[in-house]
Amino acid sequence: MALVGKKFLHYNFVGLKNYIKALSDSYFWISMKVTLYYCLASLALRFLLGLAAAFYITSKAFKGKGVMAAIFLLPYIIPGAIHSYVWLSMLEPDYGTVNRVLRALNLPPQSWTYERLTESIIAVNCWAGYALAMLVLASALTSIPKEYYEISDIYGASRWFKFRKITLPLIKYPLILTLILIFKEDIDDFTYAYMFTGETPYPDYKTELISLYAYHKAFSDFELGFGCAVGFIIAIIVFVLTLLQLKMSEVRG
Amino acid sequence: MSKMLKKIAEPSFTVIGYVILFTLFAYVLTPLAWLFVTAFSATGSPYLEIPKEVTLDNFIRIFTEQHTKGIAGYAAHPIYMSRWIANSLFIGFATMIITIVLSAPAGYALSRLDFRGKDLLMTAILLIGFMPMTAKMLPLYRLGKLLGLIDNLLGTAIVIASGTIPTQIWIIKGFFDHIPREIEEQAWICGCGHLMTLFKVVLPAAGPGLAIVAFLSFLSGWGNFIVPLIMIYSEDLYPISLGLASIFVHNPGEIGLAIDYGSACALSVIYTIPPICIYFAFREHLMKIKLGKIEVR
Repeated sequence: MALVGKKFLHYNFVGLKNYIKALSDSYFWISMKVTLYYCLASLALRFLLGLAAAFYITSKAFKGKGVMAAIFLLPYIIPGAIHSYVWLSMLEPDYGTVNRVLRALNLPPQSWTYERLTESIIAVNCWAGYALAMLVLASALTSIPKEYYEISDIYGASRWFKFRKITLPLIKYPLILTLILIFKEDIDDFTYAYMFTGETPYPDYKTELISLYAYHKAFSDFELGFGCAVGFIIAIIVFVLTLLQLKMSEVRG
Repeated sequence: MSKMLKKIAEPSFTVIGYVILFTLFAYVLTPLAWLFVTAFSATGSPYLEIPKEVTLDNFIRIFTEQHTKGIAGYAAHPIYMSRWIANSLFIGFATMIITIVLSAPAGYALSRLDFRGKDLLMTAILLIGFMPMTAKMLPLYRLGKLLGLIDNLLGTAIVIASGTIPTQIWIIKGFFDHIPREIEEQAWICGCGHLMTLFKVVLPAAGPGLAIVAFLSFLSGWGNFIVPLIMIYSEDLYPISLGLASIFVHNPGEIGLAIDYGSACALSVIYTIPPICIYFAFREHLMKIKLGKIEVR
């Protein structure tokens, strides 16, 4: 599709023109930058939250692990359209819960849905998606034999030592796999960005994720070929990551 | 010295642990609590508060009151919100049926037959399944328009199914791989053909697996947002996801107290029921599938 012009039936072959146009488009690079920021920030947050939650639901110290796992899993289960609108109302500038809490703590309220849009979307994405990291890491953590910890207890190892020398090496491959999985999911995230931005793009496309940019280009500016070229560039990135992921799972098993 | 450090460090570890746990719980539960509370409260508001009275009004309103607001720019006539639930159910079940009908025979063939280029085909199917939505979105829209599937619930279901089938073929193949061949050989001796064996022997044996695939594909139809967004234009045919979006998508500064939060929350409580039921019924299997261990035992 990206190789042809605007019309599908009465098309004219334009070669790589759409790709050249996309790669020399300044807004494309702006939204690429926004997407990279979004992906890296939510990668870090989702991963850390997931790791913390995985430790809680697999540790012996806490009671009621089953209930806790179920609660931690809830945001991941419910449909994606709900995630964004629940957070739209939580982050509502005048009446939303987050700004109320900020005011109660004497902190300045933010206009989350407009000026801090990217940060808001990151918050939603983390809330909705950290459970993926939690699931993968929890299954990796439970597969570590308990004897390793018992032996290190006999020698009086500290928690940090046990984490660094036993846990980390044994969950290394699941860790990398999780990172790849999360990055792949984030790079074509669309729903949250769409729900927070709406049908028309913000001026200068300054908060567009790349998928939303493709959508707006195609359906607001009617440049389908351009949108497809952008989409195909994403597909190539994801394809490379997928090959990496398959390689990783081969190494592991 | 180190012993003392340990004495201080170990309890403080636990305290920090509980603080992080509490923060995590607050982060996870506050939005959900808002959703649930607002659905049952008489005055819908965008902030979390303890409701003065608990009512089922919001749920009743979904089925009895007509809803008039549309996406800005589209003229809308009043419709019942319950219509959206029916549409979502239709898309979900249609996706389920299409997926099962197409991917069960494919999975069977890939599991039992040996032909040239089988590995290549399997890898290709897997890679197609991992194709990002951003790249598929526009070609699907164009193709749908060409085939007249735009603004059509069945067309939407077909497009969603085209996205779910590759993964489901792999899952189903995994199930079939674990059914012993001897059962089939028995059937052949008794004079069954390939198709007869599939329908009378193999499919019943793979029943639980098929149920999981069915529920998974139902969920991907039920919860899908992007495909209906690009395929459906008239408000009569909205699934719940688009309906919720049409209530909430805003131009900057437009959102506020004007939104009917009560019925929107009630609608989304209804929207969450099937996924939650399905997840907790099949948790063990679903976790394995999510983790990418496509072979399920």
